[in-house]
Amino acid sequence: MTCDKYENALLLAASSNDKLDAKLARHLEHCSSCRLTLRSERELFSRIDSTLRAQVNEDPSSAFLAHLRLQLSKQLTARPGSNRVWHVAGAALALILIAGLYPLVNARHSSVQENLETPTIRVAQSARVTQSARAAEGLTIRSRHHARRPSAGSAVPREPEVLVPPDEQRAFAQFVACVARRDTVAQAVVTPATNKTVKNTELPRVSFVAMADLQLALAGQEEWIKQTGSSE
Amino acid sequence: MQEFTWPGRTAETELAFDLEKAALRRDFEQCLEECGTLAFRVARGVLRNAADAEDVAQEAMLRSYRQFARLRDRSRFRAWLVRVSFRLALDHGRSTRRREQRETAWATDLSKPTAEDIAASNEFARRLEKAMGTLPEKSRLVLLLTSIDGHSLEEVAELLQLPVGTVKSRLHSARKQLAEKLR
Repeated sequence: MTCDKYENALLLAASSNDKLDAKLARHLEHCSSCRLTLRSERELFSRIDSTLRAQVNEDPSSAFLAHLRLQLSKQLTARPGSNRVWHVAGAALALILIAGLYPLVNARHSSVQENLETPTIRVAQSARVTQSARAAEGLTIRSRHHARRPSAGSAVPREPEVLVPPDEQRAFAQFVACVARRDTVAQAVVTPATNKTVKNTELPRVSFVAMADLQLALAGQEEWIKQTGSSE
Repeated sequence: MQEFTWPGRTAETELAFDLEKAALRRDFEQCLEECGTLAFRVARGVLRNAADAEDVAQEAMLRSYRQFARLRDRSRFRAWLVRVSFRLALDHGRSTRRREQRETAWATDLSKPTAEDIAASNEFARRLEKAMGTLPEKSRLVLLLTSIDGHSLEEVAELLQLPVGTVKSRLHSARKQLAEKLR
């Protein structure tokens, strides 16, 4: 029976044909079972090697290389990269693709332009901001959901737009209304500074009366927002 | 049929092109002489049939010819061809096996080896081929190449562009697995 301790060393020695480890060699002198195992394992490996060598070192038939040369010559007569048929086919395919895709692209482009027009008009109508205020300030309220507008629509002349997040639309509507009513504070915010020095960019002083007017106006604005709902 | 020429291509460029093509073919002919048999043997190591191996080797050579002009380092052609042949042979072997399974599914019971088959001298070779088929591809290729033409570990390492240690460990692992299956 093979000694378990030397089993791996025996297999390694049999497969590698290397010189035996001194410890293993000493063991083999006394253990006939391990000697037998080593011999049978070596026989197995040599049989594997010889069978494999016989299999894979077989020569191809005498016609193999001749046939290969013939196939090669056939390939050479058809010069790679200058096959007219493929060029013509490629050009025809490109033309078909262009002809087929052009109406589709055109239709898509026009539909995109139509879509670009629609939301601005709808928002403008629903916001019901006075025309004079919009003309004065050139502002249009848009939802953030419409912000991803392709630049393809830039050919159409439009008013400048302000992108307002949904949670700030209400406050912004109030602000626009204040601007339209020419409230002092709101006007002060949107009025550009006359001079770029630090002193002149400060907001003009607002009287307490004007602030009170603005607060009173808030109640009216809230009612207006309830009526119109959100800007969308 | 008159040969197509690109507009602007002059007689000089045509001549240069033809000369380049002739040189390319000469180089390839030389490679074919040196490596044609190697391609066949790699394929034969994977496939059981010599005729199939010839077909695969031929396909590998034709494919490599199509890419030959793009190969910058011609000394790597041998390694390249070995990989192409091995891969094509594996693909061919898989499709053949599928076809055989389809065609002989009804006769599975009849193909069991008889006592005479087992006693036959080629039984071991058949079992070895079957065991080879179960080896991982990397180990299998190393085992094949070391068996072909008595390639040394260093030569196989160069062919596969691997460290010698890796080749050695793959070879050892492959032989060990084979022995386990054939014991």
